[in-house]
Amino acid sequence: MKKSVNSNTIVENIKAIRDRTILKRKKFTNDQLNKPVSFWIKDDRLLNEKGKEFTIILRTKGCSWALSDSGGCSMCGYINDSSIENIDDKHIINQVNHAFQSKLEEIRNERKNFIFKVFNSGSFFDESEISEEVRNHIYQKLYESDNIEEFVIESRLEYISKMKLRDLKNQLNDKYIELAIGLETVNDYIRNTYINKGMSYDDFIKAFRICKEIGIGVRVYLLFKPPFLNEQGAIDDCVQSIINLVNLGVDTISINPINIQRGTLIEYLWYQNRYRPPWFYSLFKSLRKIHELKKDSTFPRLISNPSGAGTKRGIHNCLKRECNQKMINILRNFVLSQDFNYLNKKDAYYDCDCLTRYRLQKNFH
Amino acid sequence: MNYFYEILNKRIGYSRVGRIKLSKEPKKYVKTPNVILPMRNFLMKDINFLEGFEDHGIFLISKEVFLKIGFLRDKFKNTTFIFTHTGTLQTFIEILENNIDIFSEDNIILLIPFNIPTTILDGNFAKNEILYHLKSVKKLLENFPNLNFGLSIKIFEHPQFLDLYSPLIKENKNIKLLNLLDFFTTNTNFKNVLDLIISIKQNFDNNLVLMASGRIIPKYFPILIYLGIDLIDSSYLLYLTSENFYDTIEFVLPIHKVKYFPCSCVACQSKLKNFQSLKYSDEIFEYLCLHNLITAKTYMNKIKQYLRTEDFRAFVEKTSFDDVLIVSILKVLDRQYFDLIKYETPITDSFSTVKCFGPSSYYRPDFQQFRERLINYFSPETWTKLIIIFPCSAKKPYSASKSHKKFQSILRKFPDFPGFQEIILTSPLGAIPRQLENIYPVNSYDISVTGFWDNEEIDLASQMLVELLKKYNTKIPIICHVSDKGYKEIVLRAQKQLPNQFYFTEVYKNLTTSDSLKSLENIVKNLKDSFDLKENIPKYYSKSWVRKLVKIADYQFGSNIGMKIFSKGIKVKKNDARKNLDIIDIENKKLLGKFLVKTGQIELTLNGAEILSAIDKEFNILVFDGDLIKGNTLFRPGIVEFSQNLIPNNYVIILDKSKKSVIGLAKLIVGSNYIKNSSNGRIAKVYEKIS
Repeated sequence: MKKSVNSNTIVENIKAIRDRTILKRKKFTNDQLNKPVSFWIKDDRLLNEKGKEFTIILRTKGCSWALSDSGGCSMCGYINDSSIENIDDKHIINQVNHAFQSKLEEIRNERKNFIFKVFNSGSFFDESEISEEVRNHIYQKLYESDNIEEFVIESRLEYISKMKLRDLKNQLNDKYIELAIGLETVNDYIRNTYINKGMSYDDFIKAFRICKEIGIGVRVYLLFKPPFLNEQGAIDDCVQSIINLVNLGVDTISINPINIQRGTLIEYLWYQNRYRPPWFYSLFKSLRKIHELKKDSTFPRLISNPSGAGTKRGIHNCLKRECNQKMINILRNFVLSQDFNYLNKKDAYYDCDCLTRYRLQKNFH
Repeated sequence: MNYFYEILNKRIGYSRVGRIKLSKEPKKYVKTPNVILPMRNFLMKDINFLEGFEDHGIFLISKEVFLKIGFLRDKFKNTTFIFTHTGTLQTFIEILENNIDIFSEDNIILLIPFNIPTTILDGNFAKNEILYHLKSVKKLLENFPNLNFGLSIKIFEHPQFLDLYSPLIKENKNIKLLNLLDFFTTNTNFKNVLDLIISIKQNFDNNLVLMASGRIIPKYFPILIYLGIDLIDSSYLLYLTSENFYDTIEFVLPIHKVKYFPCSCVACQSKLKNFQSLKYSDEIFEYLCLHNLITAKTYMNKIKQYLRTEDFRAFVEKTSFDDVLIVSILKVLDRQYFDLIKYETPITDSFSTVKCFGPSSYYRPDFQQFRERLINYFSPETWTKLIIIFPCSAKKPYSASKSHKKFQSILRKFPDFPGFQEIILTSPLGAIPRQLENIYPVNSYDISVTGFWDNEEIDLASQMLVELLKKYNTKIPIICHVSDKGYKEIVLRAQKQLPNQFYFTEVYKNLTTSDSLKSLENIVKNLKDSFDLKENIPKYYSKSWVRKLVKIADYQFGSNIGMKIFSKGIKVKKNDARKNLDIIDIENKKLLGKFLVKTGQIELTLNGAEILSAIDKEFNILVFDGDLIKGNTLFRPGIVEFSQNLIPNNYVIILDKSKKSVIGLAKLIVGSNYIKNSSNGRIAKVYEKIS
């Protein structure tokens, strides 16, 4: 699979910002390397029921795309959590063990089923981030956990191979496995020119077919309101992407509204008032539109757990706490229940004045 | 839909009055210039909006649902809608495909959007984005060859990127409207604005409707219209409303700071005051939005009225006092682009007063046109033996003023007074020979006269005086009957550059006291025969009106043309009813033309035109594609050749296809640049023709 590297100025801009950020970062201590970036348990939507998620964010060397000459994606600042230099396998194994030890009790005592997500802000199948030994260790941990029903990992397309997927499937045959791919949009131009993702939709389709052949589910990340798009453009892109993916038959669609991460191109644009994170109203509008257009279809799992929701850097309406909290609740209820009725509310339900404000100014963001 | 633009009148600068014809039967059209009002759901629920705007000519809609709502289509059935989409081009195309029948109707103009990217990183990025966008647009146009479109254009502050759009616009005749996106905001670089406009006017079909959208506030409407924009999208007012801004035209300010409401619209009269303190509430949005849209519409009405009956340039200058951006645009357009804009600006107009506010008016194109033509085309009467310089008067024409009547009563005491050349000094028109005092803009300008002159005014007038005097024999004495410091300075500066002898009268108190006039009389008496004139005043040319008409003919038709057209001598007959003067050939009693007092122009008859054509075959001609003209309007397809220096409102001779005979006379609606850059549209109004 060939990585497509943009030759235009977006690469230069991203790279310059990225290099500056990397230069400024501090080296992690041994203690930090032995603990994951973060891990948590919270409510989540499982394939057919409400359940719990157990998520571990591992600290690895970092996304190879972000560390390459391409500079990485225009909105992604996860490289800030990575070590940049190679990390010993034992450190990563320690991170996994630390998270499991901390949460094992809670997992065992929980009646609900779990979805286990291992994210490394890069690619799970990239050997330079996570070696086969570490992967096997994670599989083993998971195998021993009875009430973890689903397992989600994420990877760029170029690291996905039949061999690695078969190995995974063989080791965790009784679990539902989902491979998350950051497709961001079905539109190649937006993905490669504005996001600088360096992958094509055709390549995604190839990877999707491999997963299906092996019996692994596919979760697609969609980026809501990439840089250089306005609110309506974001809605159009999101609707178009979901329709295509529903038709394709992906298993889960995870909509990720932009959150402004440090040391990214999008942060640079945001500082200059040339970008505003999306409104909740736009996200809801997209979901309602999809529901209206694909009423008779079977929907894949639609999820959205926006980072920084309700803050200036994340998806937000006005900056009133109550208004954003209401939106967060609506979204959470929808995700957990997959019930569109949570979104199909009349205007009066959104009792904040900012709805009119949104309608008046959305064409200018 | 098969809409197209039709120009009705050219106005100063690039401004124009026209209409977008939507259908022939029934006759439907949108008048331009006009403001486009955005249609939004919440506005549709507002009775004040519905009542206040139901007769408005043009709305912008961007929701598919509006295309179908019966109520909307009923309520606004005589209205035109511009439909665009505020998101991706792909979704726009889908909407188009789903509603193809609706878009084939007469009252919807489809506007191809260009919303993404919202911003750029640099010129290279912008260029790639435009090229990518145009690729998709090209495909769209190929797929819908029978629909007409408006095309949104973004240049991202790089006017040269207009060239990227050029092939597409020229190749696709179904592009009828150009929507200039984000090209005019408070932060705009005025040079980019001008480069873009000039480029469009010089390179594209001048019948393309020009629309401006983006962050435009009503304050900029006049300058945009002056730059030739036909439609202005007022959607940005919704954004300002959402940020609680109240538009007063001169400035926008937060509603809570408005203490004295300067407007008496329905919103200001009713509840806006009461809701003033409710920041970001639905109530305030409703009334504020209504006020802001009413303001935009009312202001556009005012502009339209100015374009129709008043001095629109003066109006634009007035608005420039609120924004230096407008000052810069006018200044650069006047100075740097005069050679282009002179073919766009009517040679004459019929306003009661042309107002000059100061430096911003000195170089307005009609004034420059006047000065340039005067210097190029005015030729001295060969029998001139004395030159007398006077100051201007407030009353126009000057000879109708008390002071000039007194001056002339002195000069007329001398039987050889037709040998005297009077020159009147004024600001900002410069130095004006008496014979041209009845033409535009000399007959109608008005400027504050205080006795205080600025350096630029003095320079303008003295340079013009020098140019005029250079045309005369240097031995002709020059008498200066001026008293104010400014006038004297003009003469002194001219004197330094010329070898002529200047004589100053003695002025006692002011120029019109008997002692001053006596001094004038004495000095004239002493000098009138000092120049050894070899030539006598020809028969028939001693009368003031005859002298004037000869020089006005020069001004209109070219240097020395007046004497040639009227070579056999003319008689001037006043036609009281129409305030015109008939110009009659003394020898054969034929009517050669009429002098129209209101516009200050000579309108030749076919008799006069035959003579003119024989003298200069290429002067102001349109070659008609045929031998006989039918109807009273000449349209572009009927013209096969034309002079390159045609100016709106000037008169033109129509020749037959073989260019051998004069077959008609017309008054131009447009200039040669329009004719060059258009394939249809009205060109001239025929007022006489061979039947």
